Amino acid sequence: MHLPKLPAAAAVAATLALLFPGQRARAQNASEMEVRLEAGAATNSPPGTVPFRALALTPSIRYATNRFTVRARGAAWHDNNQWHLGDASASAQVFAPLRYGVRAELSAGASHLFHDYALQSDQVDAEARLHWMQEKGGIWLGSGVTRPLRVGAVSSVNVSSGGIWTSVGPTTLRGSVTSFFFTKLDTTTQTNRPECARNAFDNTTFPEDAASTDGCRHSSRLTDVEGSFQWRQRLLELTFRGGHRFGDSLDIEPRSERWASMQAAVWITSQVAAVAGGGTEPAQPARGFPARRFASLGLMLAYWPIPRQAVLVTTPASLIRAFELRPAGTALQRLTARIGGVETVEIMGDFTDWTPVPLLRQGRDQWELLIPMSPGVHQINLRIDGGLWIAPPGIPSIKDGFNGEVGVLVIKP
Amino acid sequence: MKILSWRLCALMLALLLPASTRAQDETSARTLDPLSRLDPAYRYAVEVLLDSARLAGLPTNPIESKALEGIAKNRNGRQIVIATRDVYRSLVRSRAALGPSATAAELTAGANALRVGITSVELAHMASTRGAGKELTMPLVVLSDLVTRGVARDTASQTIFQLWQKGAADEDFLGLWRGVERDIVSGTDPGVALMNRAREVPTRGPAPTTPPGARSENPETQNQ
Repeated sequence: MHLPKLPAAAAVAATLALLFPGQRARAQNASEMEVRLEAGAATNSPPGTVPFRALALTPSIRYATNRFTVRARGAAWHDNNQWHLGDASASAQVFAPLRYGVRAELSAGASHLFHDYALQSDQVDAEARLHWMQEKGGIWLGSGVTRPLRVGAVSSVNVSSGGIWTSVGPTTLRGSVTSFFFTKLDTTTQTNRPECARNAFDNTTFPEDAASTDGCRHSSRLTDVEGSFQWRQRLLELTFRGGHRFGDSLDIEPRSERWASMQAAVWITSQVAAVAGGGTEPAQPARGFPARRFASLGLMLAYWPIPRQAVLVTTPASLIRAFELRPAGTALQRLTARIGGVETVEIMGDFTDWTPVPLLRQGRDQWELLIPMSPGVHQINLRIDGGLWIAPPGIPSIKDGFNGEVGVLVIKP
Repeated sequence: MKILSWRLCALMLALLLPASTRAQDETSARTLDPLSRLDPAYRYAVEVLLDSARLAGLPTNPIESKALEGIAKNRNGRQIVIATRDVYRSLVRSRAALGPSATAAELTAGANALRVGITSVELAHMASTRGAGKELTMPLVVLSDLVTRGVARDTASQTIFQLWQKGAADEDFLGLWRGVERDIVSGTDPGVALMNRAREVPTRGPAPTTPPGARSENPETQNQ
């Protein structure tokens, strides 16, 4: 019964040790912020109930640095000429510096979820994860605890998870195994005597004396095996997700045994996307939510306010998600960069006689340029929104002799 | 009234045409002679350096490029001349260290390495162990970057030299650089990051001999 707490304690201890190392780590002051607003129609269909349809307005904000990430998200539903508060969540993650490819993560969150007016729940959770990361993939192990509030059937859940991911070009594949261990089922006293929940997802109760010899207390374990496929190319982002749940048949609704969903975003401009999604979701054990079908269609506005300092001072890596140069025919090089939320991206170098040349936008955050470049050693600078010239990330750099830095490219014959 | 309008139009054309022609001339002159954006006195100093490089058989592109870079970055003439002179001097030292057979790319990479503090002796030592068909460009580019990022000069040059002697390929040096960069961004000490990542580079040749930084007859380090 107490076994799941041991890996949780070990993971938290290891994470703390990595998060607060004796030697003060030097980290670049990289930060980014993303603000989003989704507006559209959504429908939820828990089994056996009338589908709930409404207009939904979903704002979200995320602020991330090398060491921590803070997220907040809300949702407002418009139904019967009235606005109602829907989902709301806030979470924070703290990361240890990457050492030997290993990084620790501690996260905590609080959320309010809304399926329909009769089915809402609140929850707080905390989790520790250890990541082993390489350039093209990684694995993680995690353990945590979830405390649902206002849920009759479950009082707390231990969550253990592990996963693997890999990125191949524009595709990211993820696989995970998550185990939910219910340490206690709640009792209610509506009839002035203890009553037990039938299972993890059922709020109907029965008298304690009709329960097992353990009374209301019994443990159960669910294990979710889930895979996802994310493909991102210029204007289009596609995500497929599917999974299977294993465990005691008493705790698993038939509709929760398998699930699949899809989400798509087509970027109309650099900051506006049409989004659509739909599919099935399994029951959420920590919240007492049953399985559901859902569909949504709407528009998303995204905004990346860039602190001017971040452009001008030191951290292009936080803004420039990728910078690549590939041969594109005789004496031509294709230069691509992924930089979101900016208006202009320019480069200059010895191959342009140090004349600024703008890159062409090829999607939400894709910038591209075909440029002639002879074999040899070349120097290059990059500028975002008319800011300071910086050395692009992902290539070696040296001092430029003018109190700045310049990237160095080696083009082979 | 009509006559007056026609006269006004003619006058405007007469004034505008020479102005636009003049602007085109300036643009084409800038394209043909990019140094024209430099003050005459400073331009003369840069041209002297270019002539000297030409006479010495050195590549002139890096010098001219540095001048144009300075102009593009709005540096004043004095700063531009100092920077171009620095490039010229390091090209001379680079050729002396790498030898007459060095390619223009190697000379440029060597000049960059000298400017970040690598000594001529260390360069010469790397050049002397160069095998047939092997280019020093990539190792020198990576070496210069590592020193710029804060790896101690001796540590960087010894590590790169050892890998070079072991037969590391350009891809190995680039992979090493990527790993070190990632570790530094994650907070690892630059020197430690280099030592750790260097162990991951596969050995392809004979074991290293004396590292360049350990040479006692190094005249440049003796003078420091």
